[in-house]
Amino acid sequence: MPRYTEKQYRLQMLAVMTVYVVLMLAEWPHVRSIPSLPWKIALALAPVIPVVMAIWLMAKRVMHSDELEQRLHLLALSVATGMICAVTLVGGFLCASGVVALDGDVLIWVAPALSMFYGVTHVWLRRRYGSTGCP
Amino acid sequence: MKNRVRELREGRTWSQGDLAEKLDVSRQTVNAIETGKYDPSLPLAFRIAKLFRLSIESLFDPAKD
Repeated sequence: MPRYTEKQYRLQMLAVMTVYVVLMLAEWPHVRSIPSLPWKIALALAPVIPVVMAIWLMAKRVMHSDELEQRLHLLALSVATGMICAVTLVGGFLCASGVVALDGDVLIWVAPALSMFYGVTHVWLRRRYGSTGCP
Repeated sequence: MKNRVRELREGRTWSQGDLAEKLDVSRQTVNAIETGKYDPSLPLAFRIAKLFRLSIESLFDPAKD
């Protein structure tokens, strides 16, 4: 089976993320003003579709990786999950105790924060294991 | 764990990319194995040994770190 190359992954991810950005800029600002509930739900959840596709691309990338790459993905994901758990717990306790006021919108930032922690950790791990640049 | 992968690869004038392609792994993995930063799994160690027509014991030395 031919390897799923980093170039293929990046191109497909770029396409999916472009769809996400277009949806967020074009339709999301108008969602609150739509009177029809079914349309409001459909348009509010539309950006989830490219995000799910992005998650599928990430899974495909991991499945096509070799053993060291899979190990790095697992380590990076573990660190990112741990960081998100810590940050959300801190936020949750501070909110519950009345120190800060957070509403449900903050949940939108969980996935991007997870991706950021994952990306930073993955780059660091790749360098630690001797990567000299892009594969 | 020390190994002779780099020595054997260079003896055949293969690049890390060439060896990676033959083993169906990334070039980074070959580099990590050669520099001792990563010890391959048993199946991958067998693939390397088979490629160089050597035994695993003659390729990898667990006594050295």
